[in-house]
Amino acid sequence: MTTPAHPDDTAASLREAIRSSDPHLSKFRPLPRILAHDDFNTGLHGWVELGGNYNGKGEYGSLDRHFRDFRPPQLSTCNFFDVGTHGAMSGTYALKLATRPHPGHTATGIRRLTMSGRGLLQIEAYLAYKAEAVVDPSAENGFGDMEWDGNRHPSEAQFGAFTVATDLCGDDGVRYHTVVRYQNADEDGNMLRQWRYPIVPEPTPREAYEGKVDYPYATDFTAPDPEDWRVYGQPQELCMNEVPTKVNWHYLRWVIDTDKRKNVEVQLNDQLMDWSDVPVPIYEDRYGSLENLLNFYFSVRTLSGQRNFLYLDSVLISADW
Amino acid sequence: MILVRESQTAVLERGLDLTDQWATEPFETAWAGEARWFVQFLERGSGSVSLHSQISADGLTWVDHEDAPVSGEAAGILTAPVRDFGHWLRLVVTPAEGTVAPLVRIVLSLKE
Repeated sequence: MTTPAHPDDTAASLREAIRSSDPHLSKFRPLPRILAHDDFNTGLHGWVELGGNYNGKGEYGSLDRHFRDFRPPQLSTCNFFDVGTHGAMSGTYALKLATRPHPGHTATGIRRLTMSGRGLLQIEAYLAYKAEAVVDPSAENGFGDMEWDGNRHPSEAQFGAFTVATDLCGDDGVRYHTVVRYQNADEDGNMLRQWRYPIVPEPTPREAYEGKVDYPYATDFTAPDPEDWRVYGQPQELCMNEVPTKVNWHYLRWVIDTDKRKNVEVQLNDQLMDWSDVPVPIYEDRYGSLENLLNFYFSVRTLSGQRNFLYLDSVLISADW
Repeated sequence: MILVRESQTAVLERGLDLTDQWATEPFETAWAGEARWFVQFLERGSGSVSLHSQISADGLTWVDHEDAPVSGEAAGILTAPVRDFGHWLRLVVTPAEGTVAPLVRIVLSLKE
C-alpha cells in the first residue's frame, strides 16, 4: 500500500463515493461538514414557526402585530381532493408551510443553529409550491394572467412568493440577513417569476419596542416596503405543472460566505446564479444574546388571498468549516 | 435504540377574539393516532362555548367527527380528545349568544 500524494484528495474521493451510493444523500451536493439533513418522514427536525419576541410577562399584546401569526409547520403527505395522498419525493411526508387565506399573509418555518466557524455555508432543499385547490362550481376560471385553457390554470397565478433566508450574528453583535425570494406573481395575478432580494435588513422586535417601526398584520416582515426589493437577473419559469394538485420537486442550492458576510451563488434546478454582487445589509445597531447565531428560514406569502403552500421534501445544511 | 413516539404541539390560534363561530385552519394529521385540543381563555370572558372536531379527506370539505361536542364556560382551559380522525383535523368553536372571549389560544397536541 502506498501513501497517497494528496491525502485530502483521497478523503474527498472517499466522501464522494460514500455520498453518491447513499440514496438519501446522493441527490445533494453538500460542503464537507453536514450540519443538518432533514427528511420529514422522521419528524419536524427542529423546523418551527418563527415566533415573535414577547415581554417578560409572556403577553400576546407585546408581540409585534405582523409577527403574531406565522403558522405552525405541518407534516404533510401532499394530500389532495383529486388523487388523495400524493406523497413526497422521498417517502410519504414533506414539511408544509401553509398561509391563511388572507392577502399578504406569510407562513414561516425556521431552523435555529449556531456557527462553530466562519466560511462557506450552504443550504439545499427539494421544494414544491402550490396554491390551494378550488372545488367550487361558482369559482372563477381565470386569475390575472392565467385563464384555464387545459394547460394554464388560475391556481398558478394565485401563488405569491417563497423565500429562503438567514439570520446571522457574530463578532460582537454584528447582525445581518441574506435573503433569496422567488416572486411568482403579484396580488393581481400578473406572472413575474422573478428572483428578488431586499436592500434593507428585516425590521426587528427591538426596533418596534423602541418605537422606530410599527407594522400591521400581514406585512411583508422580511422587508415591508416594496421599494426596498430589487430584481435579480431574468425571470425563471418553474414547474408548477398545470394544476394545484401535482407536485414536482425542485432543487434549490444557496451558498453564502459567513467570513465575508456575502452571498455567493444560488441554484434552482438548471439555473446557476452568481449572487456575489447581491448586497447583504447589516444592522447599524449591535445585538446582544445572538453570538454566532445561525438561523435559516423558509417562508411563503400569499398575495391573492388564496392559501399558499411551500412543501419541503428534505433539506440539507452544510459548511466548509 | 429506543424509538420515541413522534409528536407535535401546534399553536393554531394565539390571540383569537371569539365573536362568532370559528374554525381553525386545516391541519394535516395523517401521521398521528391521537389528538387533544386545548382552548385557553387568556382573559376571563363570560358566557360559554362548545368545541367540535371536524374531519376531512381533502382539507377542503369538512364533516363533524362522531364525538359529541364539549361545552363549558369561557374561562380557564377547555380540552377535548379526538381519535380516528383520518387525514385532516380542525376545531369548530361555537360561542353561545352574548359570549365574550377576547383572547383565546387554541393548541392542537398530536401523538403517533
